[in-house]
Amino acid sequence: MSDYIIGLLMGFISIVIVNNLVFTKFLGTCPYLGVSGRLDMAFGMGMAVTFVITLAGVLTWLIDHMILIPNNLIIVQYICYILVIAGAVQLVEMYLRKFFPSLYESFGIFLPLITTNCAILGLCIFLFVWNVNNFAEAAVLSFGAGIGFTLAICIMAGIREQLKFSDVPKSLEGAPITLITAGLLTLAFMGFAGMIK
Amino acid sequence: MMILADIITLWNSAWPAGVTTLALGLGFSIALLIADRKLKVEMDPKIEQAYAALPRIDCGTCGFAGCSAYAKAVVANPELLGKCSPGGAAATAKIAEILSLKASGSNIPARPIVHCTGRTEDKTLFAKYDGIPTCTSANALSNVQACKFGCLSFGDCVASCKFGAMKIIDGLATVNYEKCTGCTACVKACPRGIIEMVPFAYDKMMTVACRSVESGKDTKAFCKVGCIGCKLCTKQSEAFVVNNNLAKLDYAKYQPGEAFETAMNKCPTKVIVYRGKK
Repeated sequence: MSDYIIGLLMGFISIVIVNNLVFTKFLGTCPYLGVSGRLDMAFGMGMAVTFVITLAGVLTWLIDHMILIPNNLIIVQYICYILVIAGAVQLVEMYLRKFFPSLYESFGIFLPLITTNCAILGLCIFLFVWNVNNFAEAAVLSFGAGIGFTLAICIMAGIREQLKFSDVPKSLEGAPITLITAGLLTLAFMGFAGMIK
Repeated sequence: MMILADIITLWNSAWPAGVTTLALGLGFSIALLIADRKLKVEMDPKIEQAYAALPRIDCGTCGFAGCSAYAKAVVANPELLGKCSPGGAAATAKIAEILSLKASGSNIPARPIVHCTGRTEDKTLFAKYDGIPTCTSANALSNVQACKFGCLSFGDCVASCKFGAMKIIDGLATVNYEKCTGCTACVKACPRGIIEMVPFAYDKMMTVACRSVESGKDTKAFCKVGCIGCKLCTKQSEAFVVNNNLAKLDYAKYQPGEAFETAMNKCPTKVIVYRGKK
């Protein structure tokens, strides 16, 4: 039993740090660069993505293993994934609009764009590709992927808030320095690559 | 027969996929329908009404991000009434009615006046300007036009106007007051600062349409219609003040009347003119 729990924990750490979707797979770069201007907004975005990715990961795993694989219907897998993600995003949107109107307004277009956040579709596909055969593991990996995304976007937002006060060369102001920062962050996270085999 | 058989096999292997997707879609639509009912947000109908009463051009003159932001703010805080310059008195009155308030105080719309009368034939040019055809770049060179204060007539203000109310007529920027909404875009665009917002208490306002502070002699040498600071107008009305060789009209003191008409007729360079709706 303890082996099982350690396995889940390893999976969680692996998806948050070692196999972080943003840093090692370069997924979800659009909101990662687009909404990372301010720390509070970045955290809100991370939470929204975590919710959607957990819901979508669990639901798609269930649909995969209960409907699609037994009936040999893997061919409609992607359509089903997108369906689940779009539905989950709609739910988040309604929820935010009701309970966090200011957050809803500050997200603007980026909220519906979670639908096309490739980190989410990527995670759903990875769950299938990595042959995750265990519901608990799928749930932990989905949640961990969301936490990993939140971690990435919050680190980025923290750095960008500091960048506003620093003396950046004129030609690198704005998007260029952000991309350079993203590259350096990725390099730093490469150091974790050997941590879990 | 072969083709028919193929179509049937195709159909047989395809329908489960279609049915699965349809069933999933149906399930999600039902879930979303329930969520939509449970999480419905009631919008204040006053905000929508106030928004409808505004011009909806998102010019930002009121200091908010756009008309919807202003509508929200004004419903929450009625003290912000009357900030909409393009909408003017009509929009203010409508919003006041929606909020069951009475708009009080003067609501004089501000409109721009170009403080120059120099048309192409009145101006003196030192050199032919062949550079980038904008006022801003022409203004960067010191001696394109003899008068340092006159309209350069490259039309930066025309380009800035969203409503087609600015036009260069015979080398002078002219405002079409029927189209102008008072959004202040041209005031910001003019590099020489000769366009100024003026409270239009009347449809037609009198103005000293010149900004030249050169001595009378120099002004006369450069321009046929510049203010030379002769102080003839100040003898007719206290509203005129001459400072630095330039007469100015205090618009708050202006009222249509004989004294102002006389001042206009006596002006030797005819620089006191009417601007406004015809």
